[in-house]
Amino acid sequence: MNSVRSICSAVLLLGAFSLALYGSASRRPASPPVSSDVVTFNRDIAPIMFHYCSPCHRPGEAAPFSLLTYQDAAKFAAQIAVITQRRIMPPWLPAPSDLKFTGDLRLSDQQIALFQRWAAQGAPQGDPRDLPAPPQFTPGWQLGKPDVILRARKPYALPASGSDNYWNFIFTTNFSSTRWVRAIEIRPGEKRVVHHANILIDRLHSSRAQEKHPGDGFPGMELRIESESFDPDSHIFFWKPGSVPHVEPDGMALRLDPGDDLVLNTHLQPSGKPESIEPSLGLYFTDKPATQFPVLLELQDDKALDIPPGDAHFQVNDEFTLPTDVQLLAIYPHAHYLGKDLLATATLPDGSCKTLIHIPGWDLNWQAVFYYDSPVLLPAQTRVTMRYLYDNSADNFANPFHPPHRVLGGNRTTDEMAHLWLQVLPHGDAVPVPQARMMLQEAIARHDVSRDPGDFPAQYNLGAMLQARGDTTEALLHFQAAVQLRPSDFIANNALGAAFLALNHPSAAVPPLLLAVQSKPDYASARYNLGNAYASLGKFDEAIIQFAEAARLNPKDSMAEANLGAAFAQTGKLAAAQTHLEKALQLNPNNSLAHDNLEEVKRLRSTPLQP
Amino acid sequence: MFALRALQKRSSALLVLSSLCLIPACPTFPQTVDASVVDLDGHPADPFRLAGSKIVVLLFIRTDCPISNRYAPTIQELSVHYAGHAAFFLIYPIQSESPSQIRKHLQDYGYHLPAFRDPGLTLARASQVRITPEVAVFSPARKLLYHGRIDDWYVEFTRARHSPTTHDLVDALDAAVSGKPVASASTPAVGCYIPGLP
Repeated sequence: MNSVRSICSAVLLLGAFSLALYGSASRRPASPPVSSDVVTFNRDIAPIMFHYCSPCHRPGEAAPFSLLTYQDAAKFAAQIAVITQRRIMPPWLPAPSDLKFTGDLRLSDQQIALFQRWAAQGAPQGDPRDLPAPPQFTPGWQLGKPDVILRARKPYALPASGSDNYWNFIFTTNFSSTRWVRAIEIRPGEKRVVHHANILIDRLHSSRAQEKHPGDGFPGMELRIESESFDPDSHIFFWKPGSVPHVEPDGMALRLDPGDDLVLNTHLQPSGKPESIEPSLGLYFTDKPATQFPVLLELQDDKALDIPPGDAHFQVNDEFTLPTDVQLLAIYPHAHYLGKDLLATATLPDGSCKTLIHIPGWDLNWQAVFYYDSPVLLPAQTRVTMRYLYDNSADNFANPFHPPHRVLGGNRTTDEMAHLWLQVLPHGDAVPVPQARMMLQEAIARHDVSRDPGDFPAQYNLGAMLQARGDTTEALLHFQAAVQLRPSDFIANNALGAAFLALNHPSAAVPPLLLAVQSKPDYASARYNLGNAYASLGKFDEAIIQFAEAARLNPKDSMAEANLGAAFAQTGKLAAAQTHLEKALQLNPNNSLAHDNLEEVKRLRSTPLQP
Repeated sequence: MFALRALQKRSSALLVLSSLCLIPACPTFPQTVDASVVDLDGHPADPFRLAGSKIVVLLFIRTDCPISNRYAPTIQELSVHYAGHAAFFLIYPIQSESPSQIRKHLQDYGYHLPAFRDPGLTLARASQVRITPEVAVFSPARKLLYHGRIDDWYVEFTRARHSPTTHDLVDALDAAVSGKPVASASTPAVGCYIPGLP
């Protein structure tokens, strides 16, 4: 796996980096090319500036000063000439390639030359008749009035000084029913200090434990959200300066269930004065439920990250072969401060090669999710390859350590990461969509497990997938591996118990299920499963306790009521049995088990006891 | 990020220059500051006269430069640390920045330092600066001892280290306070160009 053979030949020219220029008092814009043409703001510069600069360089937006008028531009003419020449601005990381990204901000060489000449000529304004109409911007929410606005419960006080800062806000929801979300507009608060922000759905409230007090928020660069699903929500909600909120097409809305949390992860940079960061989220609903479910494929090899100090060319690879045809919608490469050259390629079954993205000068400050202008078709058996280079030398100015230290993979700012996310949709009719999704999830889970058997989520996810498609025997092995990795994890213990139950080993199911309810007493699913295990062992009194707890925790669970009724019936408590079986039928009139058992209980109750 | 090696080369070249600057030909500020330097009420201002026998530190900043703004806490701290020996002045060289904009800026960024406008760039030229933030250190005899960056926090526009690895202004001030020659008389500053300078 750790070889470069799979990299497209077109990009093997690594190391041929051009030496970037740098800002200094003595560095001035280069002399203009010999040309008699006068470059004017009104005719030549304004059209470029209005398109590439003004969306961020205007009041209330992320950039530190406005670039809307001649006066604005003239004041920064020398600056503009230098930073466009060095391609520092506009910020755009990917190198040009055949695949086009939405919102490409890369200037052409001709455009850059115009800035150079304009500044060198003394920034002439030109004929007012040449000036194009100024850009029109939508004030406030970019997608119009949101259906719901969620506000941070408590602002974060960003100190005036210091280095980068990462803060997470939890937004609680309490909708009465499931909503379908077609877009979330992130308003990150004081945009000038927010470098990027992204949202994760936390259905299990797993992030709340990280807050000192509810609503406080919590620090941290990377979020790990626990999920009960092996086919988690594969939507991306990302904000970076100047980004327009992404609207999911019809049929690809995000499901938001009552009580789900939204966690906003923000990357902040102190501005020199204290700032109060108070983000809000605008939710836009649709009445069209999801019919298409994108899958996020994650390539990564954090475990391989052990970068010696001074190493300026540390390489990490991962590759994954697609089990089915997909459309690639978006790509999100991610490394921390030592990342230097990030490359993702696809080698198609016919041997042809596509560069999916190449970032020759990684800069964490401008990380982004990149959407393809049109989806990229990748047929089954396409090999996706990630090849990242890291620079842990003192020459990497972004190096968090001075002098350089050994750096390992991890979630902290000073750790390193090697991740590549691909958002894909199953494509074509060859395989039914749900099956295609399962194939993708299973393939990625198998890929993760084979790369790192110590990867807990991978072991758990693979187990869950195998169980869902009926291979409980193999699923059990992976749940056992998961529990071995995290002995007190309630989700894994519950899954292990459930697998034993499915294999008719109730006595083996009890210990992991007991562990699950001990570490999370309000875990309704584990209570229910434990009830079933006890019931299978004939321990109906214990079963009643667990089913009652499951029903209390999840008052809409018809099956918990039905089993509670059945357990009461087994112990001869027919009145209580009838009450719960009737409740089960109220919750779900089609619950046939409850129906049949209720008939039986009624029959028994009407039959006089035999002496 | 690949520029650093070249940058280091440059600063070693500057070391040579710095020793040159210790000879008497080093620029000395004229005995009177011309009337284009004004305080926020529009009255002529002379930081050298106000500093008396102290070392004079001129900090060139502007209200809308994100890099000079990020230095505000550092500048304020240093001014307190050296208060006994050096007088710090904030110099706003951008002609279009009004006194009321500057007052608001001082308040927002928690500055408690005297602030002057230099629309004619008199102080900027005498200090040989071209960037905000850039600093000039003068002896009480108005001799320019140091000009350049505060430290090497920024490598280039938008690109900052986690923390600086050099402390150029501190080094210059420590030398000046103890009467020793300043090792580096000038360093390259990173920030926003001051319009109107070559």
